[in-house]
Amino acid sequence: MKAPRDAIGKALIQLAENNFPITVIDCDLASSTRADQFAKNYPERFFEMGIAEASSLSFAAGQSFEGLIPFFIDFAIFATGTVWTQLRQSCYANANIKIVGTHPGVDGGFDGASHHALEDIALTRVLPNLTVLSPADADEVYQAFEQAAKINGPVYIRVAREPMPVRDKTIVPRVNDIDAVIDEGNDFAIIFEGASYEQANDGYQKLSALGHKGKLIHLACIKPFNQEKFKSLCQQVNVIITVENHSINGGVGGLIAEQSMQNGILKPLIRIGVCDTFTESGKSSQLKDKYGISGQNICDQFLQVLF
Amino acid sequence: MNIEQLKISAKQARRDIVTMIYRSGAGHPGGALSITDIMTYLYHNEINFNQSPRARLVMSKGHAVAIQYALLKQLGFIKDEEMSTFRNLNSRLQGHPNIKTVPQLDANTGLLGQGLSIALGMAAAKKLNNDPNKVYAIIGDGEMHEGQIWEALQQAAHMQMDNLVAVIDYNKLSSHDEVNSVCRLEPLADKLRVFGWHVIELTDGNDMQQVVDGFALARHYKGKPIAILAHTIKGKGVSFMENNGDWHSKTPTDVEYKQAMEDLQ
Repeated sequence: MKAPRDAIGKALIQLAENNFPITVIDCDLASSTRADQFAKNYPERFFEMGIAEASSLSFAAGQSFEGLIPFFIDFAIFATGTVWTQLRQSCYANANIKIVGTHPGVDGGFDGASHHALEDIALTRVLPNLTVLSPADADEVYQAFEQAAKINGPVYIRVAREPMPVRDKTIVPRVNDIDAVIDEGNDFAIIFEGASYEQANDGYQKLSALGHKGKLIHLACIKPFNQEKFKSLCQQVNVIITVENHSINGGVGGLIAEQSMQNGILKPLIRIGVCDTFTESGKSSQLKDKYGISGQNICDQFLQVLF
Repeated sequence: MNIEQLKISAKQARRDIVTMIYRSGAGHPGGALSITDIMTYLYHNEINFNQSPRARLVMSKGHAVAIQYALLKQLGFIKDEEMSTFRNLNSRLQGHPNIKTVPQLDANTGLLGQGLSIALGMAAAKKLNNDPNKVYAIIGDGEMHEGQIWEALQQAAHMQMDNLVAVIDYNKLSSHDEVNSVCRLEPLADKLRVFGWHVIELTDGNDMQQVVDGFALARHYKGKPIAILAHTIKGKGVSFMENNGDWHSKTPTDVEYKQAMEDLQ
């Protein structure tokens, strides 16, 4: 088990060492986002802006116009919601900025509903020019950062806070856009975003143990959405299950509902995630259980559809 | 350009602002006319589009974009026949600045409050890149009500960003009412000073001599960002638009257009 967020500092340092002209923009959360490790190595490229997110996001856009590649790193709620119009203007200009949202979904645990980013996918996937990446484990963080740095335009990267399993990439390599990390049949397809990998995988294992053969699909790039690959993966499956550490409205569940209908994949759709409610304080793992982001809930809901 | 040339250029720019808004049927004449003299000076004497890297200009009060188009036409970046397409379908000349269609505009603005922060980011990047050029941000006085402006004012002072020059177009009018009656800004110069900025006050920001002298003075200031607080007249140069909030966003009629062109002879 490794926390994806813990890979952030090292990923930033590695990008700088690989000569990407990056800077890091922080709003007083560097120790929580792990950007502080970069600050120690590259103090002149680290900008501590104080608790002033709106100005700092626009500041990042300004830096990008001068040829730098700024990484704006903040809790997902601030990195998308607080700065949404600044982000939107940056996307309008196709500014070469990279936004990293940590503590997505209920990962802000004890902080409670105010800090739980259950809408960041919804807020970002509607913005033209913006790429939205969702690495699933700690080992994928650097690759997502490098993928982002190579894109000439704005990118949002959602990085989970909670420790989660690291998938064995020797069997199936890292997914860049959307692909099955396990593919054993067409009884069901579980499509997950990175911050719910553990729960999606748990649901998959539970269904497998009951004898159901399906696919576990990582939606590593939420936008642009690879429609063709989605069609080829899901055309034959009997039930589609989306799993997200996010609201089921407007996020991955919303996206797959749109894409399924549009592409004539008219199968039952189960959307696992937080159901149109504000959450509460608590341990992140317990919150996921209580609000239905769990392997057990995936299993229960699938069996309900089946029978 | 010398002062006489700048004055001629500013007058032509004013004619073009009113004409493009008249012909296209939409736009914001008041705030474009108040900042015309300063913009004329900056585009002709401080921004060199043939240089790279170069000084930058961010029009934070993006609704005044007409003055940018008028001057970019003088500089050869916009064709005469494009001017009447302003704000209409299939035009490069969007209602608020868009660098994807006109790259010389330097930043996408129009949602008020964001431009000073963008300019600050550019200024910080220039320091990191050892680029000696300055960054200018044009801010409206009504825009000073935005919280993001005060975030940027603090950040710029904290970073001692002395390659950043903020120009405040203090024409005293919001879209309808007086800025200081909507939400008081005064004492504005004092506020800027205690926020850690050098302040240069132009008692008449529509007087080209004062404009030239003000920016010359700005070059000598080090260690802090520089604010040029320019007292201007909204609608400057057109008799019936001057100090009249109705002309924040309005298109002249045929009769009004004729009168405006006579005023701007």
